[in-house]
This record gives sequence, C-alpha cells and structure tokens, in this order.
Amino acid sequence: MLHIRVFINYIRDVNCREKIWIVRNHFSKHNDLFNGFFNLYLLIKCFFIKIILNMKKFTLLLLMLFSITVVMAQRTITGIVFDDTGEALIGANVLVKESTLGTITDVDGNFTLEVPDGASFLIISFTGYETQEYDISNTNNVSITLSQGEILDEIVVTALGIKRTEKALGYSVQQVKGDEISRSGASSAVDALVGKASGVQITRSSGSVGGGSRIVIRGVTSMTGNNQPLIVIDGVRTNNQTLLSQAGTAGTAASNRLMDLNPDDIESMNILKGAAATALYGTAGASGVVVITTKKGALNQQFDVNFSSSVSFDNITQMIDLQNIFAQGRLDGNGVPFHRDPSTGESGSWGPNIANLEYSNDPNHPNAPGASAFNAEGQYKFDRNGFLVPKGTGDGVSANTYNNVDPFFKTGNSFTNSIAISGGGKAASFRLSLSDLRATGVVPREKYDRKTVKLASTLRPVEGLTISGSVNYTKSDYVRVQQGSNTSGLLLGMLRTPISFDNTNGFSPADAVDENSTHQFSDFRQRNYRGGGGYDNPYWIINKALGVEDVNRTFGNVNVEYQFNNWATVGVNVGYDLTSDSRKQDFEIGSRTNTTGRIRLDEFNTQQFDYVFTLVGNGQVNDDFGVSYLLGANIFSYNNNRTNVIGTGLVFPGFLDISNATQVTSFQNVIRNSQVGFVGQIEGSYRNMIYLTASARQDYDSRLGNPEDFQLSQTGFFYPSVSSSFIFSELMNDNSVLSLGKLRFSWAQVGSPPPNSFSTQSVFVSPLVGDGWGPRIGFPIAGQSGFDQAARLGNPNLTPELTTTIEVGVDLRFLKGRLGLDATYYNGTVKDAILPASLPRSTGFQDVWLNAGEMTSKGIEITLSANPVRTSSFDWTTQVNFTKSENIVTELAPGIERLFLAGFNSAGSYLVKGNQYGAIFGGAYLREGAGGADDTSLNIPGGAVVINDNPNSSEYGYQAVDPTQRAIGNPNPDFIVGWNNSFTVGRISANFLLDWRQGGDLWNGTAWALSFFGRSQFTAETRVESPTAIEGVLSDGTPNNIPVVRDRNYWTSSLGGFGSVGEQFVQDGGWVRLREVGVSYSLPKTKAFKGGSIGISGRNLWFNSAYDGIDPETSLTGTGNGQGFDYFNMPSTKSVIVKLSVDF
Amino acid sequence: MKLIYSTGFLIFLLLFSQGCEDIVGGDINRDPNNPTAVPVSAQLPAFQIALADEYGGLFSRFNGLLVQQVEGVARQWSSLNSYTGLTPNRYDASWNNIYENVLNELHVARATSIAQGFNHFEGIIDIMEAFTMMMATDVWDDIPYSEAVQGVGNINPKFDAQSKIYTAINMLLDNGISKLSGAAGGVAPGSKDVYYGGDVENWIRAAHAIKARGMLHNKNYSGAMSEAMSSFGGAAENLGYQYPDANSGGPWYRFNDGRTGDIEFHPTMKKIMTDLNDMDRLSVIDVIFVTDASYTASHPFIRPDYFQELVTYREMQFIIAESDVRNGGTQLGYDAYLAGIKASFEKFGLGDAEYDAYTAQTEINPGLGSLTLEHVMIQKYIGLYLQPEVYNDYRRTNIPELDPVSGPNVPVRWAIPQTEVLFNSNAPAAGSINVFTDRVGWNR
Repeated sequence: MLHIRVFINYIRDVNCREKIWIVRNHFSKHNDLFNGFFNLYLLIKCFFIKIILNMKKFTLLLLMLFSITVVMAQRTITGIVFDDTGEALIGANVLVKESTLGTITDVDGNFTLEVPDGASFLIISFTGYETQEYDISNTNNVSITLSQGEILDEIVVTALGIKRTEKALGYSVQQVKGDEISRSGASSAVDALVGKASGVQITRSSGSVGGGSRIVIRGVTSMTGNNQPLIVIDGVRTNNQTLLSQAGTAGTAASNRLMDLNPDDIESMNILKGAAATALYGTAGASGVVVITTKKGALNQQFDVNFSSSVSFDNITQMIDLQNIFAQGRLDGNGVPFHRDPSTGESGSWGPNIANLEYSNDPNHPNAPGASAFNAEGQYKFDRNGFLVPKGTGDGVSANTYNNVDPFFKTGNSFTNSIAISGGGKAASFRLSLSDLRATGVVPREKYDRKTVKLASTLRPVEGLTISGSVNYTKSDYVRVQQGSNTSGLLLGMLRTPISFDNTNGFSPADAVDENSTHQFSDFRQRNYRGGGGYDNPYWIINKALGVEDVNRTFGNVNVEYQFNNWATVGVNVGYDLTSDSRKQDFEIGSRTNTTGRIRLDEFNTQQFDYVFTLVGNGQVNDDFGVSYLLGANIFSYNNNRTNVIGTGLVFPGFLDISNATQVTSFQNVIRNSQVGFVGQIEGSYRNMIYLTASARQDYDSRLGNPEDFQLSQTGFFYPSVSSSFIFSELMNDNSVLSLGKLRFSWAQVGSPPPNSFSTQSVFVSPLVGDGWGPRIGFPIAGQSGFDQAARLGNPNLTPELTTTIEVGVDLRFLKGRLGLDATYYNGTVKDAILPASLPRSTGFQDVWLNAGEMTSKGIEITLSANPVRTSSFDWTTQVNFTKSENIVTELAPGIERLFLAGFNSAGSYLVKGNQYGAIFGGAYLREGAGGADDTSLNIPGGAVVINDNPNSSEYGYQAVDPTQRAIGNPNPDFIVGWNNSFTVGRISANFLLDWRQGGDLWNGTAWALSFFGRSQFTAETRVESPTAIEGVLSDGTPNNIPVVRDRNYWTSSLGGFGSVGEQFVQDGGWVRLREVGVSYSLPKTKAFKGGSIGISGRNLWFNSAYDGIDPETSLTGTGNGQGFDYFNMPSTKSVIVKLSVDF
Repeated sequence: MKLIYSTGFLIFLLLFSQGCEDIVGGDINRDPNNPTAVPVSAQLPAFQIALADEYGGLFSRFNGLLVQQVEGVARQWSSLNSYTGLTPNRYDASWNNIYENVLNELHVARATSIAQGFNHFEGIIDIMEAFTMMMATDVWDDIPYSEAVQGVGNINPKFDAQSKIYTAINMLLDNGISKLSGAAGGVAPGSKDVYYGGDVENWIRAAHAIKARGMLHNKNYSGAMSEAMSSFGGAAENLGYQYPDANSGGPWYRFNDGRTGDIEFHPTMKKIMTDLNDMDRLSVIDVIFVTDASYTASHPFIRPDYFQELVTYREMQFIIAESDVRNGGTQLGYDAYLAGIKASFEKFGLGDAEYDAYTAQTEINPGLGSLTLEHVMIQKYIGLYLQPEVYNDYRRTNIPELDPVSGPNVPVRWAIPQTEVLFNSNAPAAGSINVFTDRVGWNR
C-alpha cells in the first residue's frame, strides 16, 4: 500500500493540499478512473488524520465541543415514572427531545436530569410500553404514567440506508441491536450474530485465534461465486473477503475482514434477507445484505466517555479419541506386531501392546535400532530412556506412554480495552473510539492483536444540510500456524504421533515450547517420530514454520445530504475501503513441506470505492394515499493487487529471510472490476394499511465486458422487483388479542455478473509442473520461463445470471406485542448460472465458463418472540429463530452431472445434479442395485452392501468398492434453531443462547487418516475383536458369512484411511450448543460516573454432538463454498469472558 | 423549485450514463497478468518439462508398481499396490497432464510454427507428439486423438482405435525427421529446447528410437531393429530432461520429498537381482527411499538433479538384442545385449570393473547361441529400472514372471480416467473395461 505510506509521510506536513497532487500523480498510474473522487477522499482523510495526529489541536476541538454543552444554561428536572398498574418502572429511558441527553430511572422509578434551558419535551420510553412525550416547558417536577403498548411501528434501516417503518415492508428484515452484539463476548461481529436472526447460518472455520467465519443468508445463491452477504457499513460497501495464500485444504487459518470492525462500535445490524430487500443493492446484494450502523455522537449531547475492558480465557473444546495401548510398529510376516523405532520412519501405530515393552540402552541388543538412531556419543537420540525392546530383555524400566495432544494446548487469553468519547453541540457532534485487542491462541505462539480507531462526526451547518462521515483505521497482526492437509500442519503430525513417542523430548509442555532440542537434533535434522521424514513435530511448527500477517486497513465514508423539503432530499455518500495485507510464511530447512526451506512473502492490496447518489422524497397525496420515491445511482470499483514472492533452497538454517534463498520466484495477480448502477423505487401506501413498492435497477458490470470487442450493452442488465404489505389488523376492531396482523408478499429478480473478473477471455499462464503427489515446480526452471494455455477457457458470450425469488410472510403480534410470530416462506430459482462447466480433458481443457447452471432454493424462517414475564421486579424475554433452507442443483452444463468445489479425491464437495448444494461426493461401498433402474443418478443405491467374496483378493470378506463415486453426504443442516433468553431482576440481568443445528454431514478425514495409522481409539478396539462377518450380502445375494477382523489390513485397505471409500467416515455434524451464557450487573449512577456494568459470560461452553472427532463447527476450507470437511482441523474453543464497562 | 432540482438531478444521472463506458469498459476486464498469446519459444520449455515430468512421475510410479520394481507401502500407495485402489479417478492426473499440458500445447505450438515457418520447432513438436500419443495409447488403448484438443470446438472427442493412433505416430515421426532435415526457417529452437538444446541430429536419432519402440510393440521386429540401429550411438544422445537442482527437482525426488515412506524398493525385483548375483546394481537401488542429503547422492534415481530419460541408447540396444534373438540370434544382437547391460551399469553409476565381474558369470553371459529372450528381457527389466517401458515389455513377453499382489493377474492396462468417462459421451461406459482382462491393441 505504497500510496498510504507516501501519504503518511505527507500528512506530517501542514500544507496537505499541495502534496495531494504528488500523491495523486503517483496513484493515477494505478487507477485513472476515480481521481476526482480520490482527491476528495484524500482531502477529507487528510483532515481527519491531521486531527488525530495533532493531538494538541484535537484536545482543543474536544474542549470546544465540551464547552458548547457546558456553556448552555441548564435547569434540573426531577420526576418519577409509573406503569399503568401504578408500579414504579425501573430503567425507563428519559430523553430530552431532539438530543441524546438522557438518563434512566432508578429502582424507585425516580430520575433527575439536567436539561438545557430551551428544552421543552421529554421522551420517556420503556420496552413493551408506549413511548410518551411529556411537556416540560412549564414544570421542573414531573410524574409520568406509561401504558403498556405496542412497539409495532419500529423504524428499520433498509437498503441504501433508507429508514422505513417496518409495517411498510413487503419482505423480511431482522434487526440485531448493538448491545446484543457486545453481550455475546465475540471479538468478531459475524461470530456475534450466531443464533440471533433467522435465515442466517454462521460457521466458524477454525479454533485458531484470528480465524474467520463464514456467514450465509438463506442458503447459497451462487453456484461457484461468493455466497456471503454484502456488508454495508454506514451506507457503503465494506470488504469482508477472506484472502488465502494457500488455496484449498492446506495453509493457515484465514480471517474474514469484517473482523477489523470493533464490535463495540456497532449500533445495530440489520439483516436484509431476500432479493426484494436487497434489490436496491443490485448484484452485490444477491446473497443478502448485512447493514451495519455504527455509533455516532448525537447533537445536543453531553460529553460522554465510555470505557470498557474485558478479559477472556479460551480452551479447546473437544479432541478426537486416540488409542493409548499400541506402540509404533507393524506386523511381521506371521501377523505378530513388533515395535519399529522412530529412525525406521515407521508411520503406523500397529506395534505391540505398550505394556509388553521396556527400555534398553544396549546398542548390542538384538532389537537395537540402526546407527542413525544414535548420536556421536553413542546415545539413543529419540528417547532419553532408551529404545523399546520386548519386556524382559531390556533394563526393566516399563515403556512410557506420552500424551502428545492435550498438554500441548494452553489456555488462550484475550484482553480488550476500548474507550469511546462522544459529544455534540447544536450543529456538530462526534464520537471517537479506540480499542485494543491482544489475544493469544490455544496454540503456543499463535497471536492476534487488533487496534482500531474510529472517528465519526456529524455536522449540520444549516437547516436541512447534514454532513457526516467516519474514518476507521485498523491494524491487525496475526501469528499463525499451518493446519489441515499439510505435512507441516499442526494436528496432522501431532495426532499421528504414536503413544510411544514423546514430542516434547522429556520437557514439560511449557518448557518444550522454547526448547530447540524437542524438535531439532544438533546436526539440524528434525526430531520427529518418523526419523526426520513424515510430518513436522508440533514444536517444530510453532518455532520454525510460522506465518505472520500484518493488516493495515482504513475505511469510512462521507455522506452529504440536503433536504429541500419532504419531497426532495438529495444525498451523496462516498465510501472507501483500503486494506493492505502483508504476509510472511517461513519454512525452515528441514520442514516437511519444504525440505530445502522456503519463505513466502505475500502482499495483498485491496481498494474499494463506493459512490451512492440518491434523491428521495415522500409525502401524503391526500389523507388516504401516500407516496415515496427514490432515484439513485451507484458506482463501485474493486481492485485487488497481489504480489507474491517465494524463495526456496535456503543456504543455511536459522536465517529466515528472502536473501538466504537460492531461488526466488514471484508473480503478480491483479483482480479488478467495476460497476455502475441506476435504481429507481416507488412506494404507494393506502391508509397506512396497504403498501406497494416497485423497484427497478439497471446495472453495467465490467466483468461481462469483452476487452477485444467492448460493447456497453453487453455489460448491462435490468431487473425489477415488487413487494407489498397488507396490515389486515387495521380492518379489525381494536381487540386485546391481536395487536398487529400483517401479510407480505414480494417478487424480485436479481441479475449477477460472472463471479470472477477476466472470464471473457482465454489466456496463457505460467504453469506449475507436477501430478499433485509431491511438490509442484514453477517457472523459471533452470533459467527458462514457460507458458501454457490456462486449463479454464474464457467465454466472450457470457450473459448475467438471473435469480427470481418469491417470498410470502406473515407478521403477527399478540397481547400488545408481548408475543410475536414472524414467518417467511421463500422459493427461488437461479437460471443461467455462470459456472466453469467441466470438459473432458481430451478437449485440452478442464472447463469453460458457461451460462449453464440452474439451482432452486426454498426455505422457511420463523421468529417467535415473547415477553412471558414482565413485572417491575422481573423481566423475561425470549426469542426463537428457526431457519430451514434447501438448495437443489437442478442443472449443470448439458450432460454434466457433477462439478468440483473443494476437498479431496476420496471425498470432496461437489455440485451434483439433483443433490443439495455442495454435496459430499466420493467413494462408496458397492451395493446391490448399482447400475440398475434405481441408479439413475450419482446417489447411493438402496440395496444391501455387497461383500468382496473373491478369496484371491487382499480384501476378502470386506465391503466391495463401488467403481463409481457417489454423493455420500450432505453438509447442509436440516434446520437451525437459535433460542435466546434474557432475564432482568433489578440491576442484574442474565442471558443464554442455545444453538441447535440439526444434521449437516461432515467428512471426518481425521478419523479416516488415523484409522490407517492405527492411531484412533476405534482401531485399538477393532484390531482385537473376534472375527465377525460384516453386514452385507455375498455376490450371490446370500447374507455374508465370512468372518474378518478389522485389523491393520482392513484399515489400510480401500475401506480404511487413504482408501478409495470415503462413505464410512461421513458423520452427522449436527449439534446442540450453549452458545452464549452470561450474567451482568448494572452499576448504579454516582457523582463520579453515569453508569456501567460488570459481567461474566461464556461462549461455547457446552455442546452435544454425535460427531466423533473435534467440535463439528469447523471447516477445512475456511469461509469458501466447499463446506463439510474436517481433516486435522484446529478444534474450536470455549471461552469465559469478564467484562467491565463504565460511562463517565 | 423542486422541479429544477429534480431536473438537475436527472441531468446529473444522464452525465453518469455517458461515463458508463469509461468506468466498466476499456481494459478493466483484461487480465493484466496473463497474456492471450505467446510465442512458440515461450511454450516449448513448458510442455517439454511437463512431458518429462509425467513420464518420470505417475507413469514411472504406476508402471514400476505394476511390474514390482517398487512397492507401495503406505497411505494411498498401499491400496494402489494391491490394485484395489486403482480406481478410474486415480488416472485422472496423468490423462490431464497428457491432454491438457502436453497435447493441447503441442497443437497450438504447431499452428504457430507452421504459420511462421519455424521448421525445426515443427519437427520437434511432431516427434514429441508421437512420443506422447504412444505412451498414452500403450496404457489406455483406444483414446481420443483425431478429434482431441479442440476445446469447445468438440466437447465429446471420439476415441480412435489404437492402430489408427500408431499410423498417425509414424506419420508424425516421418514428418518430424523431414522438417528437421531441412533449414530451420526463421527462428531455431536453440536453448529453448530443454531436451537437446536444438541439436537436430539428436532429434532425428530420437525419432528413430521412438519408431523402434513402436514397431517392437507391434511385433515388427525387423523394422524395430533397423530403426534402433539408426538411433542413438551412445548414452550421451539419450532423449530426456536434465532437472537442475533441489529447487526444481526430478519427479522421484519430489514425490519422495512430499510422500516419504509411501513407496519403497520391491522385494520381487530384489529377488530377481539377488538370484543373478547382481549385487552391485542392487546395492545402489536397494535402500530406503529417503529424501535427505545423505541419501540423494547414493540413490541415482531420487536425486534432485535427475536426468529423466524418455528413450535411451540402452533401450535401443535391448531392442536390437530382442529382435535378433527372436530371429535366431547373431553376434550383432549379442553385442547389443552386452552393450545394453554396460550402459545400464553406467546409469547406475558403476564402472567397468563391476560390469566385467557381472558379465563374467555364464548365467549372464552364456555365449552366442545360448542367449534367450529371457536373458534379454530380464536385463532390460533391470536396465530400464523405473522407465515406464518395462510395463510394456512385461505385457508383451510376461518376463519376468510376477505373482499378482491380489486377484488373478497383474492388471494389463490402465482404466479410462473417471473425468473422461463422466464428461465425454464418447468414452466407454463406466465399468465396461476390465483392467485385468482387456488388453490393449498390440497386446491382444
């Protein structure tokens, strides 16, 4: 992010404006299009950063603002608030109208409030009661009675920041308030959303600190493109991407960029779910939109300081069961297990029972290992106690078993401190927040630090004109370990390590972290259980194969609005989002993935600019009819520039710098696209009972353009939507049961461009050479460069995808809002979906971009909310969010039945025709009926499992293997339920959230692989079982009568780990989980401070799942589309968080 | 008033629509990092290395496994070893490399070469295509060729009979020899030819060698003999690629680096060599396959700076010997037999002393008139260690005799890969080919 660096150098200079031209000239080389706007942005940014840097002036500014509030003449109002039964109301909000000046009532319902002289009205509100305005122009002492009411007419933020009454909406929108976000204890806004809204599925990908989460609203909408919702912060699009340095199933955990937002800065999050809700965002909103409104200072607000501090303690949740009986080794020719020493490189734990082994240090012992197992002094290198020999032949010291797993992990910690200062005068307000998060992971050395600064301010210089803006700066630093399918992956080597080998080499877990001799011999060769081959020792990984990431990000917006009158408000909102993500991954010489050593420098620079122009207005035509309209234009540009440098063949160990590499290769990768959109919307209302909204959007997207023969019309596409709401309760007489009854309906289309840039052309690339079994090599090779045709063909004739969705819903409120039911059903189809249609490789290509796919989606969402108990002393509110969605792939390209998304050869995530999105596809048992009438697709046939009854086969008596791979699992849950509860007793409030995910398969690749090595507990049981016939039928259809023992031969065959059958390791990944639980006490107001709270909460403290491995909330491929894979993934964590928050 | 503002705003929108083309058009959707066309000289190293890598990669591993020169002992390779893991999807990677990374590139490069009159490029391309198609049809029998690599022009290429592919191979080799015999025309390959550095004479010899190999498969022994005689005069002329170093190591080095312990030396081959008292060569290859500084120097096949041969002088000598033995046996064939063994000793890094000691044994050196096909094929089996060609020899001659790891016999061909079966409507139906019984054309 060079221009930022240049810029920082210049902002020190007072004469900012002159320097901008220099900066601009530099920048224009990279992006000519938005110079004008960029100048504007620079000016504004310059202004804000100058404020921050020149603290002296800033303090002055604060004083000025402060003085505005103190200079004003004041008077004191005292009062008391009752409910309509005459009970005092505790905690009712008392606010001076048109300001944020306010307080809450104490335990006796009393309040005292200093108000400016000019103030004439108080607004008194309390959840579940009708808000009341109270005239105070003639009194300083008030008594107010609130009647239980209906908060049925909530204002919600919809697309493009337009506030509308919820009644008018013909589609489903759900709001999550800021306090629910901060109460969750999650350091990421996405994680905090779990269970709080229907239609939303969130999956945390890894227990690594700083690991990202995937969020999907109403299932998937794109077959191969982005399926995560658009994130809009304060009206402009914000980057939530996950950038991977190593694609697919290996590498480190990766963040999603919304993690850069301090959750305490969030005022509210609104989930816009369906196509009608997101129509105004166009294409980008096709997967739903999360509209985040951040906290800002309000006008006429007292100077307010909020300080909060929290500490969390994190531990891993669950680990796969490992056997602790059998030592490293294998079977001899007679099937008798014998021990093989680490120097043999033996991978498996098929050796003898460890109780039958003891140590020896006698190099002449008949079982003594080879010379390479001893050091120059003749001492055995791999274990201080000696090598293992059969009991009775050694020194009599029984063999130890070593737990290499649980003690390795530590308690992770995070400390978060944040301070927010806000205030406002008559014409200007501001809020400044700073936060600092320092977290260490459950894996030693893993780290996540985040510092955020946010300044938001609003200016109303003249009546009707509002200028507001915000600047966010975030610096995130990560230290990460390798994980997943990767010989340098942490759990891969850790879990495979036999129980007879000590990864710590005799040191305590705490000492082992810093002890080089745990993982390296004096000759620099690696110490691990496979004699230096195989997989990295976990202590090697955390010392010699770490990755660091340094993310510098600034984003924000400037919004100018002028209201001429009710019929015309014109607005311009300019947003920018600049992220620089600079990474370095080390592999010391001797690392198993790169034995010659390797250093990867990877730098991503992402720039987003978003410009929104709006003209809105509304009013009543007459008493019955109201109209509102919107005209808008939108320009958006995205540019991601990656520079990757890889150095291999390090000259000497201990110096992990690119200058130590003998071969350095590099590449650059630019991804860019831009869109222009025009949008119009008109809404009519009749007697606040019937609302009808129609919208239309015309988009032009660069990704549809063919640079060889550009035609604007080719990039353009148009799509409409209509929605309607009918408040049928308006027709009914007032009754005490049904307070609100609303039906809603919408029909909407959304067009989408190709998911990737540059898909309209076919190109040559510099290829990687190899067959996938060992490291691939890249050009230049021996000084020669090389190019070949990319495996994927471009297509200049691509047209946009089109999604059509119908949504119907009902919103019922009973008993003045104390019970509410909101239900939605939707049904949609994606047509002409753009996907890489597979070609037979004999065409010379792997696939071609094609408008070929079709997918249907349907789902039900129900939100049930209730306030079962509401007294002055006890309040209980509860909310249940139910989500069920299903995406069926109905058409791939002609003749194509499946398409790869992610995963492995034996089990991968695919689009399979007729199956749910992302079906797990892989090897299956042969069943009766294969190839018959009931086998028309790639699903598993219904018949009995066929047993291999060929006596010559090495798999005699085992399940036979189906030669065709099939859909063996569905990673999508049947439904998700989130049950939220909160209780208030006086100053104490408590809450819990249960998270229930029913179904959703996970391929347990960890169990698959560990069965091969004889390391899983299950293999310890089956290897000694008495011979039993496996359930199934012989080739003649009679029941199987061939007894077998599932021993090493079984688990290393096609049926076991690394075999071709993946079916037996597909497991139910559903759960019931105590996602959140917490208690907090709200501090009484004193002279020194205005209030605050202290609380303790837990996240993910308990879950129950049938899954036989780590916590099933995991995803090997991170936030990508291919979900449902666990292959030595990092287990998730449970946390206890203590938080203190004080207002001054 | 509001009319003025509204109109103003609409004009504003109109101005934007004028600018649309500037914003979404131009080169924004042109990939700045990858070209849409490249010269043939930029392609040549890529497909040459891709071919050598495939031949020394999966072809060498699978065929070496099937003829029991190496044994899969861990992870996926243990089930591949017992044949049960040899499911169609396991062959996808080889098929992909051959069609996508070699044949497809050859076709583009040929078109460019012909258009620009680069005769030597064209000749090299033809010879490489002949080699590639032969290696593919020898394991897969009937495969797409005449309709292959046309991209979306033909998304269901038909499968051509093996005999037709061999006809095409011979035409390619003839054309290659004729193009290389003339002037380069414009640009000569030079150092961009990473096999021979543009040496035309060597390419012509290699073309004859490939012809000899093909004729042998098709039982044209006299033709094979004469082509072999026109080919290499010594090991220095072998066709192959010299991998530079550990940063870009040879296929066996890289496989072993990533998958240490998956494949080891095979007891069957050890027994064959032990029975022949072939201890010097045995000691070179009978070591644990560890990729490590201390081992790479001593194991000539797992070196990072490996010379991956495609076709060799010693293979030609064994072809001459075999053809001669089948024809009754003369001194010419006998000399070729010994020359083949000698070249093999050199490949193993052994010298004259070891060779002399070995060939002093009558079992190895029985004298003219006593030399059998068995002698020749066993020596070829050892001498071409890890060359995919040994699998072809085994299928032709059933020498050496092997015990199948499981089932009735050693597989006699490779399965048609799963992706081809799934996506090409002209591919044989899934399960219609039996890899244990359905022999390839020249093997029926």
